Amino acid sequence: MGFSAEGKRYLLPEEALYLMECGSLQVFYEDLALSIQDAYEIFLSSETVSLHQYQVFGHLKRLGYVVHRFDPSSLPSRYAQQLNLPQSGKNAGNQLKRKHDVSLTSTSAPSLSKTLVPTTDTMSADEHMKDESVDESVAMTSSESTADESSTTDSAVMVEPRKWWTSDIIEDKGSNHRNCSRSGWDFSSILFPDLGSKENLSGSLASPDPSLLPGALAVGVCDVASWRSKINQRKVKGSPEHRRRGVDNQRQGWHGKKDEEVQSCKNWTEFNDLMARHQHRRQDEQAEHLWNREVTPLHDPSQPLPTRELLDICSVIKPTCLLEGASRLKPAHEWRISFVVYQPDTASEFKKSKPRKPYTHVCVCGFDGPVPELQTVKLLTSQSGDVPVVFAVVDHGDVSFYTMKDFELPTDVFL
Amino acid sequence: LKWNAYHMVVTSISHHKMEEAKEEEVSSSAVGLSLCDSVPLLWRMEDIKKFRSMGLVGSLVGALPRAPRQNGRMGRPLLLLPEEERLLSEKQAAARAEGVEELRQKVEQYEAHLQQSYEEQSALALEDRKAAMLRAMTSSNTRETIDLMSSEDAWKHRLETLDQNFSFPQSAMAVQLSTARAGLTYYPQDRAFLQADWPTRQRDGPRCDARYRVFRDLKGRGFYLTSAGKFGGDFLVYPGDPLRFHAHFIAVCLDLEESMCLLDVLAVARLGSNVKKTVLLCSSVKDGTVVYTSLQWSGMA
Repeated sequence: MGFSAEGKRYLLPEEALYLMECGSLQVFYEDLALSIQDAYEIFLSSETVSLHQYQVFGHLKRLGYVVHRFDPSSLPSRYAQQLNLPQSGKNAGNQLKRKHDVSLTSTSAPSLSKTLVPTTDTMSADEHMKDESVDESVAMTSSESTADESSTTDSAVMVEPRKWWTSDIIEDKGSNHRNCSRSGWDFSSILFPDLGSKENLSGSLASPDPSLLPGALAVGVCDVASWRSKINQRKVKGSPEHRRRGVDNQRQGWHGKKDEEVQSCKNWTEFNDLMARHQHRRQDEQAEHLWNREVTPLHDPSQPLPTRELLDICSVIKPTCLLEGASRLKPAHEWRISFVVYQPDTASEFKKSKPRKPYTHVCVCGFDGPVPELQTVKLLTSQSGDVPVVFAVVDHGDVSFYTMKDFELPTDVFL
Repeated sequence: LKWNAYHMVVTSISHHKMEEAKEEEVSSSAVGLSLCDSVPLLWRMEDIKKFRSMGLVGSLVGALPRAPRQNGRMGRPLLLLPEEERLLSEKQAAARAEGVEELRQKVEQYEAHLQQSYEEQSALALEDRKAAMLRAMTSSNTRETIDLMSSEDAWKHRLETLDQNFSFPQSAMAVQLSTARAGLTYYPQDRAFLQADWPTRQRDGPRCDARYRVFRDLKGRGFYLTSAGKFGGDFLVYPGDPLRFHAHFIAVCLDLEESMCLLDVLAVARLGSNVKKTVLLCSSVKDGTVVYTSLQWSGMA
């Protein structure tokens, strides 16, 4: 219990009150020993520790658990979570020190939420990357507008520039539906920057959606006038080489139409869908009429698939995981994790200097308050990582604990 | 467990009977409430006894000083339901329990108390030591046959020197950590001056009003009520003191106009039958009376 700072030992209000109730601590205020009533009235308030929170704290302490205050900075930031950064041992040591400092300040302001602010180094690197991205997207559009007919190379170029985004997108290039759900990028809202077209006269690109940017990074409006002057905006007739390839493609029977379709695409999702559809069409020429309608077959029977994946395709309503989209949610202030709970000494070897993985994270609420919304549950679960979140519901002296867990229906596969 | 509790109650009740006469003159005064984090708490034994004698229960939330590391039995403070608080303030039976002394006065009181406690403890410790010596003397006498006269003189001398030289170290003193704040309200004669001025703190929402009306009505019929969060209702209704009886009803407060989903009715009735309680749907009517509908599983196959 407690923490040390500046060579002194400190106790948090709830810890002091608990020790007083155990009869192991006497607190003096101006030469007067505080009674437990005084301590309740002085230590507990909605600004510091609420009575509900103390009831949960006391309940768990009396059961023998090791209970600490939850410190948001002890967890990797949302940015680090998205990048899936591994936590190094040295880093963990630093966090412990920082935790002490935070708990010192948090006696005055417990609702203080520290988030890891990216260092200037990474920030400048990010900005640098942004520049590159603009560069590459310009290159991409120019190649699109110039090389009218070579759409196969087009597609390669289009996917290529995304290398500077998170690496898992590249890996998941093959299975689009998955990467949509796992990464925080909503492809339906990311538009192609079309710099080459004559219609685009605005001369500048709007700044990207701040929810897509990590942390405190701010990216302003990008002036593309200088880029536009550099790229060749003339319509290219095409070399004989190009033309020959175009004819080849036309012979395959789908390219001409596709080119129009590509140009009608507004964003990555539509483009990826288009590519997938064409893939199917190429493989199954006879049933082409099935694929160019609005409703397309779920699966191409000529393509062998394991039963499990086939079942996955057939389940038209896709199961979502609890964490899906959680990284995009804005943190709510009324719901927060209050305590970190470690198992009693017998069950795990808890050491203050080297705390193991916590048993649970506890969020305190009351029966007279509202039930947490799905958004809240998602947010808290994503915040707490792989440690389960428990809702401690206080009802006039009774404390009950509830968890909301992700549940996957079992699928039976008979072969 | 219930039997155990019953045992305890019997003793405490007989105790209570004895004190009733004494409390008679005090009973005109109000129950001293104090707020902690805007929640009403009772701290003094007399207040809690009086509160209980009014047929109100509340719930104890503090650690029991003699057994602080368990959750089965709790000690002071007593936490009040919002309905209980409102009932008290409506009956003009609640007062703000606050001391009015200066801090310096309090410190003096505290130091005097410490000094008194030290003297008492040191006297007790001396007696303890003497008793131990006497025991040692008598036991040695029985074992060995020494010259009685000379040995008695020696023992007397030793006791005298002990009396003179015994000092009880300050650090060995047991310190009492008081649960309730010592102050004006500590003395029963001063309690009579307490003004029943507890304001009715307004809570928003018609739901609170509905709950309160049901609470008041059931309380008026002589039932004891506690909160029923763990049974998914508003109140647990006991025919007598909750330490002696199991709850008979789970009260669910509803607006009379409110439509209730049939599945909810089934769920709450099923739960009630599983815990051997009757579910009461309680709605207050315009003129202040409350209408009760009981749900019971018929058990027909």
